[in-house]
Amino acid sequence: MVPAARIDGEGVIKALSPRLAIILLAAALLLYPLVLSGAFYRDVGVAFLLAAISASAWNIVGGYAGQVSVGHSMFFGLGAYTPLLFYSLWGWPPIAGIPAGIALSIGLSLLIGMPTFRLTGHYFSMATIAVAELIRIFTGTWDFVGAAIGLQGPAIARGWWDLTFRSEVPYYYLFLAVLALLLAVTTFIERRRFGFYLRAIKASERAARSLGVPVRRTKMQALALSAAFTSVAGSLYVIKTGFIDPDSAFGILISVQMVIVAALGGAGTLFGPLVGALILIPLQSATNTWFGGGGSGLTYILYGGIIVLIARFEPGGLFELWQRVAPALHKLLRKRLHV
Amino acid sequence: MSDAGHITAAKHLLEAISVSKSFGEFHAVAGADLTVNEGDIIGLIGPNGAGKSTFFNCLAGETPPSGGRIVFDGKDLTRASPEAHARAGIGRTFQVPTTFADMSVLHNVMVGAFLRHPHRNDARDKARAVLELTGLRAEQPARSLGTPGRKRLEIARALATEPRLLLLDESLAGLTPNELQDAIGLVRRIHQSGITIVIVEHIMEVIMTLTGHVLVFNQGHVIASGTPDSVVREPAVIEAYLGRSHRRPQATDSQVDR
Repeated sequence: MVPAARIDGEGVIKALSPRLAIILLAAALLLYPLVLSGAFYRDVGVAFLLAAISASAWNIVGGYAGQVSVGHSMFFGLGAYTPLLFYSLWGWPPIAGIPAGIALSIGLSLLIGMPTFRLTGHYFSMATIAVAELIRIFTGTWDFVGAAIGLQGPAIARGWWDLTFRSEVPYYYLFLAVLALLLAVTTFIERRRFGFYLRAIKASERAARSLGVPVRRTKMQALALSAAFTSVAGSLYVIKTGFIDPDSAFGILISVQMVIVAALGGAGTLFGPLVGALILIPLQSATNTWFGGGGSGLTYILYGGIIVLIARFEPGGLFELWQRVAPALHKLLRKRLHV
Repeated sequence: MSDAGHITAAKHLLEAISVSKSFGEFHAVAGADLTVNEGDIIGLIGPNGAGKSTFFNCLAGETPPSGGRIVFDGKDLTRASPEAHARAGIGRTFQVPTTFADMSVLHNVMVGAFLRHPHRNDARDKARAVLELTGLRAEQPARSLGTPGRKRLEIARALATEPRLLLLDESLAGLTPNELQDAIGLVRRIHQSGITIVIVEHIMEVIMTLTGHVLVFNQGHVIASGTPDSVVREPAVIEAYLGRSHRRPQATDSQVDR
């Protein structure tokens, strides 16, 4: 009966495949707000999804294509401001501002990409920081968009279309749907020529060019797509909070969080940003709760610590760590099942 | 003979006409000419810093020449981008292998195959066919390859773009004698499949056994050109490159002493 036992063992190991992991993760995300219904848990859940969406959007250009933007808050901010600007100007439901936010973000991404993608190296990163900061400072002085005070959305819903809910649950599922769409788009890209080109560009632009890869155009497309989804993340954020100011839209921490979440889980991998958000956001919420307002500076310490750890020990993020550890775990598991 | 359609044999695949490249006051290439016909294997030799690599990069579109013209298959590519060169049908390898380390060998080659096969399955089929010719295992990660494997992978990747002209930049350097014989066999097979080749190489054995025509560079100038046998006998070549002690074509140690 040894062969039968062997087959059973293989079966168990096979069942622990990535496919099953994805199904389990999806089920957990779907059930989460129903199982853990406390206000704190729901807050964390929504914050997690928003971070996962932002970081996954950043991941397209920052992870797959290796063009590290440290100013993605500019797209997040545009996506956040436009819905509330449309509301305050014409009383439109905030959701109507989403397409305009996307269009503005794509336009801005082209403006930034055209000059900077001629160059290689860190110029792109530096340009993105500079532009995001300029926009933040400028927004703080521009009365049309509320200057330093910012803009406010509808306090009480005039109808369902305002998407203003008392409960966190509708937001949770709305965000989850957007995350699912984004991951589907990323999977689609990953398997196509475009995805191969992005990874080739990340590894060596020179070699990619010699193989006929239109490097600049491909990077521009990646940045535009990434900007569009980051803008949507900003819109979702503002539809939920109903309020925006320059710092929470264009602040550097918004950009840095995207980079760290993606790098922690594994930049340039499909689920890296999700895993990163799964670890970082609860940690952040917990420290904020434990230390109250006095702990707000802890975010910086946390981010700094994570950067140091990733750079020193695991530049590929947790995903790569898992890839190295998984075979050993499988071996161990196999041994257990056989004996 | 009287048929006008039969004059294609005389058509040049690549023509570089008095190509020069200067970096400030330094003239890396000072007016080099090269004519490549379909089916040639041409060698470029010369001491380090003679300008072969710069000339080579001009041919591949990576370094725009300061002067002269480069015409490939009737099209002027003098100032065209490396991407345009690849599309036109010029493939190349690099002196220092630049593989896509995080990707598998198959995926590396697929990046090249996508140029003519935009759909994934077609690109994969093309890549597999190329890997069969070059003898690399498809599923291994590129980072696990040693230098000989990386050089071979670069050749495979370039072949996947279906070039008519392949530019090999010291692709056979740093190999053991056995690996070298393998690699020479591979270049032969590539040539037999109908691809024209220009090869930069220090190893005289490669030049003598593979090429039919050699250009010798020194200080930015082409100082000799002809069959390998005739070129190695020219006093100027022995003086500049091979060294006075050079007797047999196989000798390779003397290459460094100017």
